[in-house]
Amino acid sequence: MKKKELKQAALGLLMVSPSFVLLLVIVVIPIVRSMLSSVTNEAGGYDLSRYAFLFTDPGMRANILFTLRVTLVSCALVLIVSYSLALYMRFSSGRLSEWIRKTYMIPLFIPGVIATYGLMNLLGNHGWLARLLLPLGIDLPRIVFDQKGIIIANLWFNIPFATMLLSSALAGIPASIIESAKDVGAGRLRVFLRFIFPLSYKTFLVALTFVFMGVIGSFTAPFLLGPNAPQMLGVSMEQVFGVFREHEQAAAMAVFTFLLCSVLGFFYIRNMAKEESGRL
Amino acid sequence: MSAQLAVRNMTKRYKTGEGVAGINLEVAKGELVTLLGPSGCGKTTVLRSIGGFLEPDSGDILIEGRDVTKLPPERRPTSMVFQSYNLWPHMSVYDNLAFGLKIRKMPKAEIREAITAALRLVRLPGAEKKYPSQLSGGQQQRVALARSLLLKPAVLLLDEPFSALDAKLRHEMREELREIQAQTGLTMVFVTHDQEEALSLSDRIVVMNHGHIEQIAAPAEIYDRPESLYVAQFIGKMNFLEGVVEEDRVWVGRLDWPNGKRLSGSVKVAVRPEDVGIKPSSGGGEGLAGTIKQIMVLGHYADVSVDLGEHGVIRTFQPKEAIQALQSGQRVDVSFAHVLVYPAH
Repeated sequence: MKKKELKQAALGLLMVSPSFVLLLVIVVIPIVRSMLSSVTNEAGGYDLSRYAFLFTDPGMRANILFTLRVTLVSCALVLIVSYSLALYMRFSSGRLSEWIRKTYMIPLFIPGVIATYGLMNLLGNHGWLARLLLPLGIDLPRIVFDQKGIIIANLWFNIPFATMLLSSALAGIPASIIESAKDVGAGRLRVFLRFIFPLSYKTFLVALTFVFMGVIGSFTAPFLLGPNAPQMLGVSMEQVFGVFREHEQAAAMAVFTFLLCSVLGFFYIRNMAKEESGRL
Repeated sequence: MSAQLAVRNMTKRYKTGEGVAGINLEVAKGELVTLLGPSGCGKTTVLRSIGGFLEPDSGDILIEGRDVTKLPPERRPTSMVFQSYNLWPHMSVYDNLAFGLKIRKMPKAEIREAITAALRLVRLPGAEKKYPSQLSGGQQQRVALARSLLLKPAVLLLDEPFSALDAKLRHEMREELREIQAQTGLTMVFVTHDQEEALSLSDRIVVMNHGHIEQIAAPAEIYDRPESLYVAQFIGKMNFLEGVVEEDRVWVGRLDWPNGKRLSGSVKVAVRPEDVGIKPSSGGGEGLAGTIKQIMVLGHYADVSVDLGEHGVIRTFQPKEAIQALQSGQRVDVSFAHVLVYPAH
């Protein structure tokens, strides 16, 4: 009996070991090494000077603030647009909603680099939009090589997926729940605030987390569309790593970015846990 | 008499061409009226139009004499109990019940009192803190009923509220609904496809078919005197035999009845299984000659099927005592105590 249990335990370990080894080699060891290297100072000792640099260097500080601003604005805009689209598709059955339903996923099928160059062609200094608007006497502000360009690219990349998540959440709300709410006397606003939003809130948070993580760690669009200074952390990290060859400093930036993400992760997990305990 | 609810000449057509037409219906205060029919007959369309979830193409809906045809559901004095997914899953039972009252700006203490009373009425006292997922299907429908009752609607609408429940629970809920209706005196419109439910619950039944009303009458009237062949087929068990009108009498084999409806040519003769009498064949040729095919004992009565040869096979219900003298294969004489005659088409 004992022997059999032991055999089973060994078999179990054997079966999880490939994925565990993969995780260890690809994720765990690099993270530990990065963390170690981020606390290594120039003299080879250990201290937090690399982190101190992040907050004392004016350029770095500007990069961090710039990243946070772009991320927050992108998140807000993406969620507003996606939620509106999802709501419209859920509660309207007209031709426009049908049209949106058929097309909103298209950006997901266009490779990021191509889309980014497309945006540059469209929105650049002498892009089509500028040329189309020229006869009307409208002068476009600078969009490409500016935070506006990054934010527009973020909208392009993130709206389809967020809309997909939110529509499936809204589709999961049975019609009778909304009808019974109206039936007892709730108007449109109250139906939204007390029923539709609370019942899709979890997915809203998931969408927010995805968009936040995606934007804060993005590279392609900020690299191609962003200004030279300040830069988003992804671009700046690449520069510090690849151009300045300051691996330890880049590691400190990576750990910091990870910490920013984990703040949101914390809220997300706490909320899920609260929800679970509330139900039981 | 001014009706609590009046539907006048209502028509609603969907894009598919289905829908209802020429619906006229009046419901008195305190009455429980059932809309009965097979799925797709338009009964739910009528109910949802009364509740404000559908806008009729034409016609009027009046509640307590006031035209509500153009009002949205939240501004109608109706309340609806849905078939399923009735309760709001993210709110406790208390919040589910209190929501409508809060909108109506009822003071908190009164809300609490009203909810306690309503939960007692639906036999779920003390369930305030529970969430819908912690309740069984029957309990959820009771809470949903309580939620509607609390709003004291002018008309309570019920859309097959018990159809998702098992048979035993369905019976209990029926009785409870009857009691609640007696206690509160609410006007109710109840949609069901279950004729037994309709017969047991209703003051009056509205039998619907293909988007129009076939008959409106009290349950006993509908059962005893169905106005059309459709109602006769739909309500209760019924045997149909081919008959013919000759010399102003309706004939099935040797049996004949007066031709009350002035029909001519071939007709359908309908007879309830309990109105069929059978006795061992005397050989003298009384009634229709048949052979007992099968006897099924169902408790206090038996379901006996009799092969009438050219007239087909009919079912009869016989009291327990009568079947002791009968056995399958036996030759019998069959007579009908009461028949209904419809034109055949």
